[in-house]
Amino acid sequence: MKTNAGNLKKGEFVYHMGEIWQVQKADFYSPGKGSALMKARIKNILSGKNIEYAYKSNEQVEVVDVESIEMQYLYKDSENLFYMDERTYNQYSLPISAVGDVHRFFKEGDKMYVYMHDDKPLTIRPPMSVKLKVIEAEDADKGNTVTGAKKSVTVETGVTVLVPLFVKVGETISINPETGEYTGRV
Amino acid sequence: MKIQTHLENLENYRSYLAIEEITHEFFRKRKYLRMDLPVLSPSLIPESYLEVFKTEFNYFQKKESLYLTPSPELFLKRLLTEGIGDCYYLGRAYRNSEPNSSWHLPEFTMLEFYKLGINYLEMADEVLGLLKFIKSRLSRPSFGMPGNKHNDINLKFDKWEKYTIAQAFEKFTGITHEELFEEKLLIEKAKNKGYQTKNATYEDLFSQIMANEIEPRLGRNGRATLLYDYPWELASLAKISADRKTAERCEFYINGLEIGGFCTELNNYKEQEKRFFSEQLKRKQSGLITHTIDKGFIEALKYGLPPVTGAGIGFERLAMTFIGTNSVSELKLISIQ
Repeated sequence: MKTNAGNLKKGEFVYHMGEIWQVQKADFYSPGKGSALMKARIKNILSGKNIEYAYKSNEQVEVVDVESIEMQYLYKDSENLFYMDERTYNQYSLPISAVGDVHRFFKEGDKMYVYMHDDKPLTIRPPMSVKLKVIEAEDADKGNTVTGAKKSVTVETGVTVLVPLFVKVGETISINPETGEYTGRV
Repeated sequence: MKIQTHLENLENYRSYLAIEEITHEFFRKRKYLRMDLPVLSPSLIPESYLEVFKTEFNYFQKKESLYLTPSPELFLKRLLTEGIGDCYYLGRAYRNSEPNSSWHLPEFTMLEFYKLGINYLEMADEVLGLLKFIKSRLSRPSFGMPGNKHNDINLKFDKWEKYTIAQAFEKFTGITHEELFEEKLLIEKAKNKGYQTKNATYEDLFSQIMANEIEPRLGRNGRATLLYDYPWELASLAKISADRKTAERCEFYINGLEIGGFCTELNNYKEQEKRFFSEQLKRKQSGLITHTIDKGFIEALKYGLPPVTGAGIGFERLAMTFIGTNSVSELKLISIQ
């Protein structure tokens, strides 16, 4: 399937130099004098490498036909994350490099969408938010009530997150896994 | 689209105001006259790469099309033919069909200025003077620059890193002088590099190669980079050089981003008229809004535009480089997107 580069959107998969890449960002760019371009940041789904590429805005780009399937995250080893399609019980592995840092917020058993192409997983669609329990927190300074003050806590997957001072050990908080930011208490 | 407020950008905004104030001071000191201009115009300079905003003036049954100006050039050049002298405009400009991005908003702030009796390379000194002036004023504690999180403008503005377009293509892309100026050869070369060349024009491929292989490497070695002598196909309103191959036009870059450009202004009205028609034709072919051509502009040129060089700078982009933000929107308190 082909699309006009001007219509490229974040999250889409494209063929570039014979490999599959995911669009991370696509900005329309019109030089002072000259033809309009679509400047995209694309990520190689195998190596996780990001590059910038400017398409002519009217250029035809080959888009990869993908299907997103909800799967269960099982576990990880040093290089891969393992997922299971609960309808078929088929298991798939994805290199950590393809998923990126966002995986540090995943708990075994979490459900999320995996992008599939020709029965091969490409990468995951990161959930909008994850819910994780706080397992370690430093005590906040009692006198420090300035709005916006933050402290760092460790959540059950071992990652540290900046949270408002009132968050305590044992509480479950929601986090945007893409930015690593606290978004609220659950 | 929605209106959103961004009070979190207050410090950046204050820094932006400081840079604005310093810019006015620079032009005041150099005796440029500040111009307050309309942003609605009944006719425009046709430019094939810009889409415009169209609106209508209504009075009973009488309707007249008006357009938001994509640049103040049509007003300023009229005044220049009548003897206004060195002048500058710092205000709004509008470009349609160019969505919000890190570097651009459809409604943006343009700094445009004209100086009589100098050519494009002499204008380069004037622009460098402005950059130097802003940097030195900002370092004064009175400006404070509270929003300058990355107060590391390590750029020196003592001189430019300079390349002609031909030198830049040779150095960064391996495309030779001969290939650059020969449409067929450039298209062939682009094809070999893996670019899509089907239905692509010379200008399309020139821009794409620039954006992929040259621009990201400009303005990164501690100095702003100046590119000059563009192929005549990209001349727009610039004067053609004596070699007939290039136009007296410059662009400058900081951190891989095009900040502004300037050119020795074309003052041959016949040539200008010719370009108007070809640009208008291209607009029609690309399905852009057909606006009224500013014939008065040609009339003004006929009367006589003195030798003059004009510069246009994306003011938010300029401010971004001094404040250290990654996007134009981080300077704004209100966004519409």
